This record gives sequence, structure tokens and C-alpha cells, in this order.
Amino acid sequence: MIAAPEGTEVARAAEFSLVARRNNSLTHAGRSLVFVFIFAGSVGIAAAFAAVGAWLILPFAGIEMLALYLAFRCVDSHAADYECIAIDGDTVKVEFFDGGHVRSYQLSRYWAQVTVSRDGGRLALRSHGRELEIGRYLSDEQRLDMARELKRRLRATG
Amino acid sequence: MDAAHVHNGHGAHGHRNTGLMRWVTTTNHKDIGTLYLVFSLTMFFIGGLLALGIRAELFQPGLQFWQPEFFNQLTTMHGLIMVFGAIMPAFVGFANWQIPMMIGAPDMAFARMNNWSFWLLPPAALLLVASFFVPGGATAAGWTLYAPLSTQMGPGMDLAIFALHIMGASSIMGSINIITTILNMRAPGMTLMKMPLFVWTWLITAYLLIAVMPVLAGAITMLLTDRHFGTNFFNAAGGGDPVLFQHIFWFFGHPEVYIMILPGFGIVSQIVPTFSRKPLFGYSSMVYATASIAILSFIVWAHHMFTVGMPAATQLFFMYATMLIAVPTGVKVFNWIATMWKGSLTFETPMLFACGFIFVFSIGGFTGLVLAITPVDIQLQDTYYVVAHFHYVLVAGSLFALFAGAYYWLPKWTGHLYDERLGKWHFWLSMIFFNVTFFPMHFAGLAGMPRRVPDYALQFADFNMISSIGAFGFGLAQLIFVYAIVKCVRGGEKAKDKTWEGAEGLEWQVPSPAPYHTWETPPVIR
Repeated sequence: MIAAPEGTEVARAAEFSLVARRNNSLTHAGRSLVFVFIFAGSVGIAAAFAAVGAWLILPFAGIEMLALYLAFRCVDSHAADYECIAIDGDTVKVEFFDGGHVRSYQLSRYWAQVTVSRDGGRLALRSHGRELEIGRYLSDEQRLDMARELKRRLRATG
Repeated sequence: MDAAHVHNGHGAHGHRNTGLMRWVTTTNHKDIGTLYLVFSLTMFFIGGLLALGIRAELFQPGLQFWQPEFFNQLTTMHGLIMVFGAIMPAFVGFANWQIPMMIGAPDMAFARMNNWSFWLLPPAALLLVASFFVPGGATAAGWTLYAPLSTQMGPGMDLAIFALHIMGASSIMGSINIITTILNMRAPGMTLMKMPLFVWTWLITAYLLIAVMPVLAGAITMLLTDRHFGTNFFNAAGGGDPVLFQHIFWFFGHPEVYIMILPGFGIVSQIVPTFSRKPLFGYSSMVYATASIAILSFIVWAHHMFTVGMPAATQLFFMYATMLIAVPTGVKVFNWIATMWKGSLTFETPMLFACGFIFVFSIGGFTGLVLAITPVDIQLQDTYYVVAHFHYVLVAGSLFALFAGAYYWLPKWTGHLYDERLGKWHFWLSMIFFNVTFFPMHFAGLAGMPRRVPDYALQFADFNMISSIGAFGFGLAQLIFVYAIVKCVRGGEKAKDKTWEGAEGLEWQVPSPAPYHTWETPPVIR
């Protein structure tokens, strides 16, 4: 999905930019709320049983909540993932945000080549022996569209 | 040339293992769904064979085939295998196949954990089945594993406890996966109140599983420590309380009943509108009714134990709370009927099973209401009336819904239309033989025949003979189901993308058979 160019420093500064984000149908606040709801239910039940002597339910509820917490945290850490491609002057900047880690690459606008498979299954930028695969959050059709747009932009003088 | 960035999804294209390793290592939700379904079908036949062993013994009064100890092993293992090995994994199989396709997600949120969730099940099933061959045989304490009987049995009981632990872990991992998938991976525009009913019912079921599985795990661990480590949780001689086990078990056990039926409600709610060619009547009330049933399931557990001796006020509370469940369940039945009202109805096999479900499940619901009445339940406790009731709910309820769903989505899974004639034979024989088997049990129970006995008084002979004939007929009818599936997998008329004229939903927008990867980029729902 191609979003508006706001959101990243690279995108904001560029003459042309594309930002693709992963799909998230629940916000961070929503996830927190769901977790608290499930946690309260599960631990509440286990605590009530512990109060009447069946305390061995508590550790199992604890392990389960830990697993749920880790699962939600993992989802949360990837919720803000994006890819940004920005063309600014002589450079093409590519930024991957993945699980809280940012990787940035700069290519020369005049040497950068766009390669795309015929079905749009794979899109990459290539320059000086390095290839960056892009378009992770795009459909095959969107990748083909993006390849056309990038080729046009790279040909145009900055 | 170095690849600085490799796609997760696209990198995996075409790098699929083949042969056996494909199934061992797969993280694809469709493959894992298939594994769950094949596993549950296998366990269904193992559990079914045990049931036929029970019915063969009960064909006539007196002991024909089995000693009473082994008979009790048969009833116990039939229950455990059907509940934990057949019905629950079958619904998880449906969830795996359908939920990502129905919400426009590429896969489950945690694909590797999904693989683990499944592959925990075969060793657990092996433990259960192998327990027949250890000294003393399998556990014979009933599927409820009541203490103090269960604290006294041989190693077969330990194997059952370990098996339940493993299956519980699998269920918890599956539930976490389903909740995170549904909440985080819905396609843009698919708000919660636009989700298909099947997805809604699974979301609520997954919550129930997360809430009650630690309770089961704790209960059977306390059994284990009572058996081997000198604790006295349930040992009255050591200051423990055997009734506490019943409270804990049924606090898990009653929501468990809804865990086995709510996804069935979801399947029927997909099928009835399709073959009525009308939208589902009262969508939002269906969602609220499902949630209400789930909430109420936490406050009715003691209706399973009215005879343990409890204050009248407590009995009244549990009686009225149980009766209250009839309200949201009635809303559901009303909505299914209202969906059919003035619809352009056709009765292909999925619709036949869905209608059969509504009819026979309602009978199970009514007998449930009868059993909710405390003074009546005190008379009927542990009689065949109870056996009839829960088989009407679980066989004609859960199992018929599973059959309905299997025929409904089989063309999407295999790319071929199933043999409609075989499907109809399967339905009618199942429907007839199911009622031949279980309807007479109401009369046997009302006349006072206790459950879990290999021998009985002569007065119950006719009812039991009819039930046994019905059971063998029902068992044989299931071979038609297997044949219909195999035939459909191997070939047949090509299925259209939208197999059923009245079908709505994202799963019908992908080709038939569904490609290995679907919705790698989410569709936009308007």
C-alpha cells in the first residue's frame, strides 16, 4: 500500500518519495486494551482459584500471559514497519524500518537501475554491484506501477 | 551482487519442500489447516471405533465382549479422543484454512508457531492411544477425570494427563495466533462489525480457550502431584477436597462445551445466507449473542454437579444462569430461520447439514434446559438422558456443522466440486442413524438407565438394541464422507472461484483451488 509521503524525514525532504507501510488493523492502544482485558480475565480466574487452595493454576496462567505478551510485543514492534524511497537531487535514498531497526541506503540517481520481474513479483533497485529489493508491502500490480514511476523519475533530471 | 534486502513473502515463493518434509516444515496456513483436518478425521475414526466397541457391548444385556474395567476405558477414551483429538482440532483446521482468506490476510500472524501448534498434537494423540497398552490400561475415570478415582489409577492416567497438557499447549498457541491474526491483520476497511460470523465466533472461542486452558492445566497438574508427589489437593484424608476438582474441572469444562460449538455456529451462519441467497438476518445480534453465550459460560459450571450437595441458593443461581443461555441461543436459532424466511432456498449438502444442525441442535438445547432444572437434574444425573443430551449437542451440533463446513469449502480447498449425490446420501444416512442411535437414549435415561455401565437391567434391552443398530449405521455412513472427500481431492468437475451463487466474502474472490499464497497484499473492503 502506498501512503502519502509524510512520516519519515527522508520522505519529507525529498522532491519525490514513496512510503509503503504494512497493514495494521489494530492500533497500539487497541492492542494494549485487548491485552489488559485478556490478562485481567485469565489472571483473575487463576487468582480466585488460588484463593480457594488451587494455586497451581496461577503458574500456568502466568506462562500463558507471558506468551501472549511476547506475541503482542512482537506484533507491536513490527506495527510501524515501512519502506521509503526518496529521490532528491543526485541521490536515491532507500530506508527500511523493520522491527524498530532502520537501514538506510543511498544510490546515485544516474547509476540506479530499476529491475522488475515480468509478473511484478520482484522489484529491485540496482547500482554499483548492490541490489536492494523493494516493494515488500505492495501487490504485484502496484510493484509494476512503482517500477514504471521510478524509471520515469530516474530518467528525469533532478 | 549482494541482495541487501530480501522479501519475507516473496523470497519464500517456490522454495517449498516437497514430499513428507513439506508437511513437517510447512508454515503455510492452508497446509497446516489440511494437517489439522486430516488429523482430526483420523482421530474421529479412532474415537468412533471406541464408540462402536461401547455399543457392541451394550447391544444386549450381560457381558458379551469386554470386562467392565475395559468398558470404562472405552467410554473415557472415546470422550477424550473425540473432544480433544477430533472436534477441537477440526475447528482449528477450519480456522487455519479460512480465517486468513476471510479477513484478507496473507497467513497467520505467527506462522512458525502455527506449525508447532499442530505438530504437538500427533505425539499427544500417540500418548492417549498408547495408554491402552500400559499396565492397567488406559484411564477409566471418565473424560471428566474426577478425583479421587483419577488419583488412584495406573500409568495410563499419567499418559492421559501428559497428553492433555500437550494438547492444551497446542490450543493456547493456536488461540494466541488466531487472536493476533484477527485483530491485527484484517484488510483495510474490514472493521470488526464487517467480519464474517465465522471469524467472530472464532475470535470469541480463542478468548474462551485462553481463559480456561490454564484452569485445565492446573487441575490435571494437581491430580499429578496428588498421585505422585504427596500433595493433597483432592484427597479428603489429607485435608483436601475432591469436590474442588469438580468445580475446577467444570469451570474449564463448561466453556469447553462452547469452544466446541461456537465455531459451528459461525460455519452455519456462513452457509444459511449463501443457500438462502439473502444476507444474514440480525448480524449484530448474532455477534452479541455469541459474546453473551461466552460470558454466561463462566457462571454456569455447577449445573454439572447439582448432586454434590450445595446450598439451595447456589443451586437456584446456577439453574437460572443456565436457563439464561437459552436467550442468546434462541436469538441465533431465530436469526437463522429468519434468514431462510422468504429466501430463494436450495438444499445442497452444506445447507442440508446446516438445516439438520439447526433442527437437531435445538433438540439438544431443549434437553439442556430440562437438565438445567435442579430437581429434574437430580433425578437424571448420570443417566442416559444426559448422554443423549450432550450427543445431540456435540454430534448433531458440532459434528454436523463441521460436515456442513467441509462440503461448503471443499471446492475452494480442492478446486473440484464434490459428488452431490454422495453428500446427500451422507447427510440423510447420518441424520437418520444419528436419531436412531441417540433418541432412544432419552427414554432409557428417563427410565433410569445409568451411564458408564457395561451391563444393564432387561427393561432397557430394546432401547439399547436400537441405539446400537443406529450407531453401527452412523459409523458406516461416515465412510461415505471419506469416499466423497477422496473423490473430490482426486478430481471432479472444476469448481468456479465463487462456487456457490449466493456466497459472499473474500474467500470466494480467490481462485479455486485457493493458491498457495493468497492476499499477500490486503484487499480494500468498501
